[in-house]
Amino acid sequence: VTDPAASDPLRVMVVDDHPMWRDAVAADLSAAGLEVVATAGDGAEAVRRAAAAKPQVVLLDLQLPVLDGVAATSQILQADPSIRVLILSASGEQDDVLQAVKAGATGYLVKSASREELLEAIERVAAGDPVFTPGLAGLVLGEFRRMKSDGEPANEADQLSERETEVLRLVAKGLSYKQIAERLFISHRTVQNHVQNTLRKLQLHNRVELTRYAIERGLDD
Amino acid sequence: VRPFSDTRRSQCDPSITEAVEAATEPLWRAVAVFRFLALVYVLVAYLLLNQYFARPGWGWVVVGVMAAWTFLVSYLYRTPAGRRSTMVVTDIGVACLAIAVTPLVDDPARIAHGEPTLALVWPVAALLAAAVRWGLPGGLLAAVATSAASLTARGEFAWTTARNIVLLLVTGTVVGYAAGLFRRSQTALVQALRIQAAAGERDRLARSVHDGVLQVLALVQRQAGDLGGVGPELARAAGEQEIALRALVSRPIAALGTSQVDLVTLLSVLESTSLTLARPPDAVLLPEFVARELTAAVVAAADNVTRHAGVGAHTWVLVEDESDRVTVTVRDDGMGIAEGRLAEAASLGRLGVGQSIVGRVRDLGGDVTVESVEGQGTEIEFHVPRLA
Repeated sequence: VTDPAASDPLRVMVVDDHPMWRDAVAADLSAAGLEVVATAGDGAEAVRRAAAAKPQVVLLDLQLPVLDGVAATSQILQADPSIRVLILSASGEQDDVLQAVKAGATGYLVKSASREELLEAIERVAAGDPVFTPGLAGLVLGEFRRMKSDGEPANEADQLSERETEVLRLVAKGLSYKQIAERLFISHRTVQNHVQNTLRKLQLHNRVELTRYAIERGLDD
Repeated sequence: VRPFSDTRRSQCDPSITEAVEAATEPLWRAVAVFRFLALVYVLVAYLLLNQYFARPGWGWVVVGVMAAWTFLVSYLYRTPAGRRSTMVVTDIGVACLAIAVTPLVDDPARIAHGEPTLALVWPVAALLAAAVRWGLPGGLLAAVATSAASLTARGEFAWTTARNIVLLLVTGTVVGYAAGLFRRSQTALVQALRIQAAAGERDRLARSVHDGVLQVLALVQRQAGDLGGVGPELARAAGEQEIALRALVSRPIAALGTSQVDLVTLLSVLESTSLTLARPPDAVLLPEFVARELTAAVVAAADNVTRHAGVGAHTWVLVEDESDRVTVTVRDDGMGIAEGRLAEAASLGRLGVGQSIVGRVRDLGGDVTVESVEGQGTEIEFHVPRLA
């Protein structure tokens, strides 16, 4: 995403079916100088309003009525791939979080995260950096191992490099990017690239899977 | 930590017995249908044969009593209360009497010739009732009772009686065994359905807790900090409760019928505001003993952190499933141990990670490594092999 002018406030959309929570978060973001361009209470509404309001970052709860968070994520991104989706979930429903990330979400934060953590995460996601909690890193690491042991098409591009695995493990163990950079004698930017690559591989793999599924279904019908 | 282990207790749960009894309903209806058909057979046969009887009038009285009993007992057997033991015993008694009165009404010459009794197959209905009520033992005992009655009626041994006795015993055994089998499989089915219903109910509960209570707790944690006074304390408490509740409702049900348990489920009790758990998407199944020992070692390591790394320290636990082995890493963000000091502490006992940690994991055929980077805390890594 290219930020047209640094002085322009970040355009954010807040999606949650609980009005109390939605309003509190929207008020916090406005107070911090961000522009809340839209809010939505269900997944379908989120897809429609995201297309109209063109936010840079969509803050999305996973448990939504009408259309769930995972489906909303993929539809929002299908309509406009430049939008960044940050999952903010109280659920701890591990599988949902992983599915949302596979569908293209760039970050995940639990609702118990502090205001400062949330603001920092929004900024990082807007800049194109994935936001990984240790919990999400553990899930992604496990997902790649599962793909490998299931013997899914051993495509070199589908697997994590040794370095990427190493970085992901350190994220899962709670180290900051700065600490990881120090430990591996690499730059902060390189750490970010490794994390970004793992996410890209996962999302690419998911798209390939979906396509293959669609083709199989198409041939069967 | 095994929320559903108590379902095994339901073996003697009265409500399950009740449900199984209700399921025997069709069997009782079949008994009633058989009894009426047998009665029609007796009526038609006696209409054609009563002229040959010694006392045809008394014969009609006996047939009338059988008809009355058919209606009465079929009516009473409609409800579970009507199928009580005394009723079924009386039923067998009436059946035996119906066989035994034959010599009193029939022509002795006919009996000697081996003609069937007046009651024909009608007494078998009582035998079926006993078999349905008590399974194999009931069927066998009723067969013995009706056989004895047949022998009394005959007065002497005849080949037709022997054949009848064999048929009665076979019927009692087969129907009794089948009824017993039906009850056992019905019990298993009812139990399975209950476990399924309990799991469904828990899922429903978990969803509504996720949707409501957790959201509110997160909101309190977020906003209460600004209130001043007890606010920050309230926010901290809400945060702790949120994590505890989330761990509780997202706990998966142990795989039924296996001795394997999910390591992540066991470790999830550790989660708190100062401990983060990172895990793979799927359950990490290990033999129960291995999972519990490894959990105990991890808990000891995490306790060690709280004791030594100070109050503000945070702990991260990472669970990795590498197909041939399981790795659990416990890391804290305390001061770490200077390189020299770690080397100096040649035995892990010096680090306060003695038998409770290293011994446990070595007993499982695994190993423990400790790594410390100054300023980046200490890492304890547990490797436990998966044995085929």
